[in-house]
Amino acid sequence: MQTTQAATMAVSRRVAGPSLGRRLEANPFTWLVPVAVMLGIFYLYPIFDVFRLGLTNASLVGTGEQYTLATLRAMLENPALGGILWTTFVFTFGSVVGQQLFGLAIALIVMRGERRKLKGMVALRTIVLIAWVIPGIANGLIWQMLFSEAPFGAINSVLRLMHISPVAWLSDPHNAMLSAVISNVWRGTAFSMIVFYAALKAIDPTLYEAASVDGASGTQKLRFITLPQLRAAILVNSILVTIQTLNTFDAIISLTGGGPGRATEVLSLFTFNTVFRNYDLAGGSVLSVLMLVISLVLALGYASFLPRREVSE
Amino acid sequence: MMRLRLVTALLASAAALVAVSAQAQDLVTKDRVGPADAPKSLTLRLTGDGPTSTDPVWAEGYKKLFGEFIQRHPGWRIDLERMSDNIGQEQARMLEQAKSGQGPDCAAVDSFVLALFKGANVLQPLDEYFTKEEVADLFPFIRDGITGADGKIYAWWWNTDLRVLYRNKDIVPDAPQTWEDLKAAAIASKDKGMEGVLFNGGRWEGTTFDWLANFWAQGGKLVDDSGKPVFAEGENREKFLKAVNYFKDLVDSGAAPKRVATIVNYDEFNAAAAAGSTALFIGGNWQYGQLKNTLEPEEFEKWTFSEIPGPTKDQRSTGTGGWTFGAFSKDPEKVAMCAAIVKEIYAGPGNALQQQLPTAKALYGKYDVFKTPANETFAKALENGQARPGVPIYPEISNQIQVMMGEVLAGTKTPEAALDAANAAVQAAYARP
Amino acid sequence: MTIEQREKWGDALTYLAAIVIAAFFLTPLAWLLSLSLRARQEVFLGASRFIPKRPTLDNFAQILSDPTFLLYLWNGLKLSALGGLGCLLVAAPAAYAFSRFWFSGKSALMMAILAFQMISPLVILVPLYRYMSALGLINSHFGVTMVYIAVSVPMCVWLVKGAIDNIPKSLEEAAAIDGCSRFGTFWRITLPLAAPGLASAFILILILNWSQFLIPFLLLNKDAQLPISVAIFNFSGTSNASTTQVLAAACLVAVVPAIVAFLLLQRMIVGALTAGAVKG
Repeated sequence: MQTTQAATMAVSRRVAGPSLGRRLEANPFTWLVPVAVMLGIFYLYPIFDVFRLGLTNASLVGTGEQYTLATLRAMLENPALGGILWTTFVFTFGSVVGQQLFGLAIALIVMRGERRKLKGMVALRTIVLIAWVIPGIANGLIWQMLFSEAPFGAINSVLRLMHISPVAWLSDPHNAMLSAVISNVWRGTAFSMIVFYAALKAIDPTLYEAASVDGASGTQKLRFITLPQLRAAILVNSILVTIQTLNTFDAIISLTGGGPGRATEVLSLFTFNTVFRNYDLAGGSVLSVLMLVISLVLALGYASFLPRREVSE
Repeated sequence: MMRLRLVTALLASAAALVAVSAQAQDLVTKDRVGPADAPKSLTLRLTGDGPTSTDPVWAEGYKKLFGEFIQRHPGWRIDLERMSDNIGQEQARMLEQAKSGQGPDCAAVDSFVLALFKGANVLQPLDEYFTKEEVADLFPFIRDGITGADGKIYAWWWNTDLRVLYRNKDIVPDAPQTWEDLKAAAIASKDKGMEGVLFNGGRWEGTTFDWLANFWAQGGKLVDDSGKPVFAEGENREKFLKAVNYFKDLVDSGAAPKRVATIVNYDEFNAAAAAGSTALFIGGNWQYGQLKNTLEPEEFEKWTFSEIPGPTKDQRSTGTGGWTFGAFSKDPEKVAMCAAIVKEIYAGPGNALQQQLPTAKALYGKYDVFKTPANETFAKALENGQARPGVPIYPEISNQIQVMMGEVLAGTKTPEAALDAANAAVQAAYARP
Repeated sequence: MTIEQREKWGDALTYLAAIVIAAFFLTPLAWLLSLSLRARQEVFLGASRFIPKRPTLDNFAQILSDPTFLLYLWNGLKLSALGGLGCLLVAAPAAYAFSRFWFSGKSALMMAILAFQMISPLVILVPLYRYMSALGLINSHFGVTMVYIAVSVPMCVWLVKGAIDNIPKSLEEAAAIDGCSRFGTFWRITLPLAAPGLASAFILILILNWSQFLIPFLLLNKDAQLPISVAIFNFSGTSNASTTQVLAAACLVAVVPAIVAFLLLQRMIVGALTAGAVKG
C-alpha cells in the first residue's frame, strides 16, 4: 500500500507537475467538468432545442419548419389544458401522498418486525419491490382485469360475494382517477418504502430510549422523534416520486387511455399523444416546456424545505 | 500426411453439413433472411406478421415463405426489423426516420397512416411492379387508399379487416338489422342474464373506428374533399348527433352496460363471450377465429355474425383497416425487391396463412380458406367498407370523438355540447399553420 | 397489561398489517401469474377465470427457448450496467468537489443539478431523435448509454456526495501531507473508501435503468440491440392476434434479474440511502 502511494506521488509529481495540475485540481470547477459536459451535451442542448421547436410549426408529417407564435398560443389557449393540469395535479398529489403514507407504514412495520425478530419481513419487502420493477405494460394489463366492471371483473366479483354492490371503477370519471392512483401507488410504493426504511435505520436509537425513559407513548415517539427525523427522507421522496409520477403515462394508457373523456388524461399523456398520435412536434414541445416550468417551480418549492445546513455545508 | 487428410475430410464433411442445413427455413433467422455475406441487402421492417410472429404456426409459415422467396432471389439478404404492438408510436417513429433518410428500405405501413406517409413524400412509386388488372381488382376503398395525388400507387395494401355484429343465436336468433332492432334485442337478452350489447367506448382508436360505421351509414362525412373537417356542419351535424344519440340511448336505456365506456381492447369481447355474460357485441372479423379457439365447440356453434345494423335496413357501413407495404429506399433494385416481397409473400400466401382478408376479389376464389361461408360474408360486407379519411387532421378528429364519447356516455356532457367542444378543438387544430 | 403482553399484541397487529399489505401487492401479481400459465384458448377468458383449467408452462418454455429473449436480457443488463458505471465515473469528481471544497455558488450549483433531476426525460424526448441522429448516435448502444448517464447523473451526484461526506477528512489530509496530489488522494483514498456507497448507488441506478423504456425505444431499431424493457412489447402480439399469455410470462421472467439483484444487494442499497441524501 505504501509503495503504491509513493509511486502515485512520484507519478503525479512527474506528470502533472506542481504548478498547473495542482492549480487545476485546487479549483473545484475542474471537478465539475465531466458532469457539465455530460449534462450540456445530452440534456441542456435538447432542452434548448425544445424551446426552439416550441416556437415553430414543426410536425412529424409536414416539411419545412417556420418560426411562429401560433403553436404557443394554440396550445396555451386549448380549452382542455386547464382540466388536464388539474388532472395532473390530482394524480400527482394522490400518488405522492399515497405512496409516502403507504411506504412509511410498510417501513415502520418492517422495522418493528425486525426489532421483534418476526419472520417474513424480507418476503414482505421483496413482494412490494416486485411491483416496482414490473414493466409498465403489465401494470395496465393486470389492473384492467382487477378493475374490470364486467360481471366477472376480479374486484367486483369479490365485492359481490361479500354482498357489497359493485363499484364503477373505470367508467365513472371520479373513480377512474382513484383507480389510476391506486395502480400507480401499487407500482411506486417500493421506492418510498426503501427510502423510509433506510432513513429509519439511520435514526439514533438512543433518542427512542430516552423517550421511553420519559414515558412517551408510541404515538408520541412517532410524532416527536420519527417524523422530524424523517424530514429529509420525506423531501427526497416527494421530489423523486413527483418526477416519476409527472412522467407516468404508460400505465394510464393501458388502463384507461386517459378516459373516460379526459378524466385521467395527465400532462405527460397529453404530450405523448400530441407528438406520437397527432404528429405535432411543435405542440409537444410547448407542452414539454410547460412541464419543465412546472418541474422547476416544484423543485424550487421543495428546495425551500431543504434543511439549511445540508446545502451550505 | 494421414492426419492432414483426416482433417481435410472432416472439414469437407462439416462444410457439406453446413451446406445441407442451409436450406429454405434455415436461411431465415430472427433478424435475417438469406446468407449473411450476400452482396445485396434490404432492410425490411415488419409487424408481428412475419417470421417473428408470436404465433408459432404463423412464424413457421412465414419462415417457409421467406426461405423459398430468398432462394428465388439469390444474391440478396433481407435484414429484418421488428415493430412492436405500439403501432401509433412505431409508425410515428418510422415517419420521422424516413424523413431524415434513416428509415428502412421497405416496411409495413398501417393503412390508417398511409396518407401521412404519402403526404410526407417518403414513399417510392410502385406502379411498374403491378399490372393494371391487379390494381383494378382491388376493392375501391383499397385502390383509393394507395393512390397518390399524382395517380401513382405508393404502397400495396395486402390485408384488410372490418367490423361486424356478433351474436349468440340461442339468445338472439335473428340478426338485428337496424339500430332499433339492436336495442330491442339487447334489452331482451338482459332478461336472460346477459349484460346487453358491448362495443368499444373507451379512450382509444377502436371507439372512433367502430362508431363511425353508424355515421357513415347515413352518408355522413368527416372531412370535405379539401380535407377540411366538416362533421359539425349542416347535414353532417344532424347525422353525427343522431349516431351519438344512438350510442347514448343504448347506454341510458340499459341496452348496453355503462362499462362500455371502459372498453379499450377487442379482447374484452372475447372474454365476455367466453364467460357467457354477453350475447351481442360489435367486433372485428378476426375475432371469429379467436372465438373458435377460445370457446368449447358446442358454445362456438351458437355464435355467428352479421353486418353492423344501420339506422334503416338499407343504410349500412363498416370501418375497414389493414396493412400495406411501402418502399422508402431510392435504390430501384431495392424498390423492386420490396414489391416482390409483398407480391410473392404477403398478397395471397400471407393472407391464406393468417386467414386475413385479401384486398383483391380474385384472391377469394383462389384460396380454399376464403371460400368458407364466414369469409364469403366478410367479402360481401367489404363492399360497404369504408376506410378512415387519410388526412393529417384525422388523428385529432378521432381523439376528440373518443373524448366526446366518454363524456356523453358518462353523462357529464350533452351530445350537443360535446360535439361543439370537439368541433372547436378540431377546427382550432386545423387552423394552425 | 405487561410490556411483554403489549408487545405480543403488537406482534399480532404487525402480522395482520403485513398480511393485508402482502395481499394488496400479491393479488395483481397472482393475476399476472395466472395469465402466464394459460394456454391460448384460455387467455381470452380474462378476469372471468382465475385458476386456468389446463395450466401450462408452454409460455415460459417458448420465452426461455427463444435465443433472442436471452439477448434482450443481456442487452438490458449491459445498457443498465454501463449506464450505472458511466454515471459513477462522471458523478464522482463532482460529488467530491461538492463534499470537500467550499466555494461561492456551491449550493446554487447543487440546486441546479437537482433541478435537472426534476426535469422529466419526456421533455427532451421530442428533439432527442433528430439530435442523436445528427450526432450519428442512432442504433448504437453507446448513444443510449450516454443518454442514460445524462438522465441519472444528478441523482448519482447526490448519492455519491452522501457517501463521501461520511468518510473522515483526516485520512485524506494524511495523504496530502505525504505529498499526494488532490486527484491522487481522490482516486487512491477517497473512492476506495466510498466503495460501499458507490456500489449501492450503482445498483440503484442499475435498477432504474433496467426499466427505461422511451430512450432505447427511440434510439434503437435493430431487434438484436433492444433491451428487454422495449423488446417485451414484441411478445404482446398484435390486436388481431394478441398473445397476452406470452407477454405475461415474459414480464415475470424479465422481473427476475432485478429481484435477484435486489435480494443480493438490498443491504447495500439501503446503505447508500442511509449514507446519502436521506440523512436528516
